[in-house]
Amino acid sequence: MLRPALLKTCLISTFSFSIFLFSACATHVEISGTFPRPLSKKYPFSATLVLNEDFRNYRFENSEPKELSIAVGSTQVQLFEAVSNSLFQNINISHSIPENPLNDLILVPTVSDVQIAMPYETQLKVFEVWIKYKLELFDQKGELISTWTMPAYGKTPTRFLKSESEALNQATIVALRDAGANLIAGFKNIPEVRAWLTIRAPEATASKS
Amino acid sequence: MNLLQYKFSQINFLENLPLLLLLPLLITLSACTTTTVNEYRENPTQLTLAKNEVIVILGRRHAGNYETEPDFIQCIGEKLNKANAITVLPEQTFIDDLYPWFEPRTAPLSLRRLETMLTDPLIGQAIRQHGIRYMIWVDGSTATTDKGGSVSCAIGPGGGGCFGFSTWEKTASYESIIWDINQLDERGRVKVDAKGSSYLIALGAPIPIIAQVQDQACKGIGNQLRSFFYQ
Repeated sequence: MLRPALLKTCLISTFSFSIFLFSACATHVEISGTFPRPLSKKYPFSATLVLNEDFRNYRFENSEPKELSIAVGSTQVQLFEAVSNSLFQNINISHSIPENPLNDLILVPTVSDVQIAMPYETQLKVFEVWIKYKLELFDQKGELISTWTMPAYGKTPTRFLKSESEALNQATIVALRDAGANLIAGFKNIPEVRAWLTIRAPEATASKS
Repeated sequence: MNLLQYKFSQINFLENLPLLLLLPLLITLSACTTTTVNEYRENPTQLTLAKNEVIVILGRRHAGNYETEPDFIQCIGEKLNKANAITVLPEQTFIDDLYPWFEPRTAPLSLRRLETMLTDPLIGQAIRQHGIRYMIWVDGSTATTDKGGSVSCAIGPGGGGCFGFSTWEKTASYESIIWDINQLDERGRVKVDAKGSSYLIALGAPIPIIAQVQDQACKGIGNQLRSFFYQ
């Protein structure tokens, strides 16, 4: 008679302990998602998009107040490829800055910073993701045209029965979409870029949107 | 069905009769919600929509501390599309097709900005291709404004249960603006405020009595918007 009761107690204890472990464990998110083809007028230039290994394998890691890691590398590669394809006539993807560039421009994005805000930290019912990119633009001779910081922000509201990983994935995808929007809409508004474009393709800087 | 089976099912039915009577009551039990709808029309005439023209409903997401819920936008779309006479383009389809021009960073906050955007051949053509006549912007959210009480649950070798009482109040506040893409003009506004308290009574098993605040707000705003197109 004692054995079934003991077994039941063991099962309940194991179940309760598992729940405790699950709630206390770290969050690891591999960001996955797709991006629509951007609607953008192409500049009449060819460009090399340099996505180095650090960029391709970028992972945000944080241990306080809770262990959290978010791998954004492969998804941000997808985004920058899609955006560059819509910005320039021809595009080449490279892992490093070419020594003898053939294209008109070389665009090098790097991740400067990532910040995550969780609802238990902010007391707001949203998950927030900030990504700060540093962009460098070189001409064909390898001379720096401009370097600028491009912030991207994404948030997603908390939902009943929606996991933390799912919410962070969604917020990061929104942030990446925002990065794409910022790059496309803001590219010609960078003063040095605008000056360079005005000389080489005045009609490209004329449209208002 | 043989006699033995019949007796068995009869006994089960009689034993569970109180529960069977209580179940529909629990399912239909919902707390009250107060909804206020205000509307403003530019002119009293009905808005016309040709057969090949559609409406798109978009949520505002540029504020830092909240965002208009996509499922709320979908709910309004369903209410507008109830009679199948008004075609509503799904929000995400429109945003994806027009990417990146309707993202929180780039979406037009005023008609003047939209007018400028439409002068871009790519954007103007994409909007025309979809046949969009009216753009309805919805701004707002549903939030928990007050809560009190507590419920404790315990589990042991002999079983488990909950005990306590908890209450929370939800407030939904939304405003929608109708933009006429052809005339580049505002055609009307609908504002809805809904408030309701939900309860959780736990005497062994927890019994939730939920106020459908967001649903009521959706019904209020959706029906009112539909009246712009129908008498």
